[in-house]
Amino acid sequence: MSGRSADATDAPDVAAVRRRLDRVEDPELARSIVELDYVDRIEVSDGRVRVAFTLPTAWCSPAFAWMMAADARDEVDALGWVREVRVELHDHMHDEEITAGVNAGDGFGETFPDATGGVASVRATLADKARLARQYDAMNALLDAGVDPDQIVALRRSDVEVRDDGARVALDGVTVVADGDPVASYLGKAAASGHVTDPGDRLFLTPEADPIPIAEFETVHKRCRLAGVNMDGQGAVCDALNEARYGSETSGP
Amino acid sequence: MYRTEDGEEIFVVDSHVHFWDASQENIVHEGGEQFIQCFYDYHTAFTPEEKQWTLEEYRKYGADRMLEDLFGNAAADMGIFQPTHLDEFYDEGFNRVDDNAALAAEHPERFIVNGRFDPREGEAGLRELERQKEEYDIDGVKLYTAEWYGDSKGWRLDSEAAFEFLEKCSELGIENIHPHKGPTIRPLNRDAFDVADVDDAATSFPELNFVVEHVGLPRLDDFCWIAAQEPNVYGGLAVAAPMAVNRPRKFGEVMGELLFWLGEDRLLFGSDYALWDPDWLVETVMNAELTDEQRDEYGTELSTDVMRKVMGENAADLYDIDIEAKKRELRNDGVSERFGLTDHYAGGGTAAD
Repeated sequence: MSGRSADATDAPDVAAVRRRLDRVEDPELARSIVELDYVDRIEVSDGRVRVAFTLPTAWCSPAFAWMMAADARDEVDALGWVREVRVELHDHMHDEEITAGVNAGDGFGETFPDATGGVASVRATLADKARLARQYDAMNALLDAGVDPDQIVALRRSDVEVRDDGARVALDGVTVVADGDPVASYLGKAAASGHVTDPGDRLFLTPEADPIPIAEFETVHKRCRLAGVNMDGQGAVCDALNEARYGSETSGP
Repeated sequence: MYRTEDGEEIFVVDSHVHFWDASQENIVHEGGEQFIQCFYDYHTAFTPEEKQWTLEEYRKYGADRMLEDLFGNAAADMGIFQPTHLDEFYDEGFNRVDDNAALAAEHPERFIVNGRFDPREGEAGLRELERQKEEYDIDGVKLYTAEWYGDSKGWRLDSEAAFEFLEKCSELGIENIHPHKGPTIRPLNRDAFDVADVDDAATSFPELNFVVEHVGLPRLDDFCWIAAQEPNVYGGLAVAAPMAVNRPRKFGEVMGELLFWLGEDRLLFGSDYALWDPDWLVETVMNAELTDEQRDEYGTELSTDVMRKVMGENAADLYDIDIEAKKRELRNDGVSERFGLTDHYAGGGTAAD
């Protein structure tokens, strides 16, 4: 289906909107909705923006769909020149309610009164899972650089600095340089989930957000791997559903 | 039975099959149409193109086709019915216990009938569960916590009402509890990623086995962590298994995690028929392998010994099936006669004859 992929011929204002939308994640997969090919259309006219998007199935959780629609609205709205933004969800069991609610600035609870719990707690839970998945990659980057598990669990936020040449890890007067991307990616998601924000905070945490006792390092490490496998596995399911529904442009295991 | 390249026989119990009717005449709520459309999306997403059904075939396939798909080429040896009533969506229900049982009665050697309960049905529900036990001697129940009922859009396994029903299961000797924890029909945020209720139920009823269908996907992480601590929690591989078709690497990772956290004794193969068809799925799963990297990472592999348990022995343990005796029984049953499978079963179990 045409129009679902980023287009190199985007007009500048459309490209600017697409860049903002690239910051919106599918909360379940912690991947950009642009990268996932959910965005069908971006129209810009006289400062008015219309964004249309579709999810892999009509049955995607309404809470997740809501988050993506609301985040898309907020991201586009943050562009200085945008006077009005309308986000439309299509081909979803609740497309009309979500489109109407998000564009009216209503809350999830007003649109779905029979939903229990708020969208905020769902968002927090998913952000926390993404934190763990990325912690696995960051821990592995440090292990690969020769940092020991007992050192890893003791590290504080201030012991690590990400620079162009990698993540610099301060260990008792010695500095070790590890692959920077996984560490930066982890720190971003940790901060977004409200953790590891102060210089004195432990760098890595258990799933329950406590410091990691050295005796539990292996288990925590494996649980972080598991969080990533779950997220990727669900990504594969969504991806396959998306292909089945819209035909395949890109694919890959 | 599946035969490996080395000629070893793998007895296959398909632990998750349906006998459904989603024909347009049976649909009484738009949810019923959306539900079958959603299933069909899953079907086409994870079925090789040449094996895909049309939507019309998929709505209602009938007993003959089901028997042929499951047993015609001996892909599966037995099937366990997992009912899904969905009475709010379908006039005569989607996949009802009594319809399952009627088909099973024609081929009792081949099918195990499971019941179901819904704690929101209260006293009448308890009586209904007793009826299912009495009439069909069920050993298990399928639970669909996302099912609609009046104004309610779902229920939890750790609720007081659910515990009353689990108590009743225990009393009646219904030992295998199969909660659906996977893709849901109208999840909102109610149970969109929550398997926590299984934890409490499994702790409170150690005498029951909780087979979490679809291994909690998309909450595999929560599921594995719970199962690692609760020895009576099992994983049903429906939905996970067909990932072997076009996402083999992901399938390997998921299997690696399951084997790491639960081990080879607590995983049950299921096709989710007619979502997918054992006719080709069994072979696809049996041919799946971990990559070298995955073998190193998980310290395990999908060996014949592991797969023999996953494909049949584990389900046989839960449902008291004596596999050798069963092979002898299947040699001359109606299904073997119809599909010419007598020779297929002739090799097994002769020593005990």
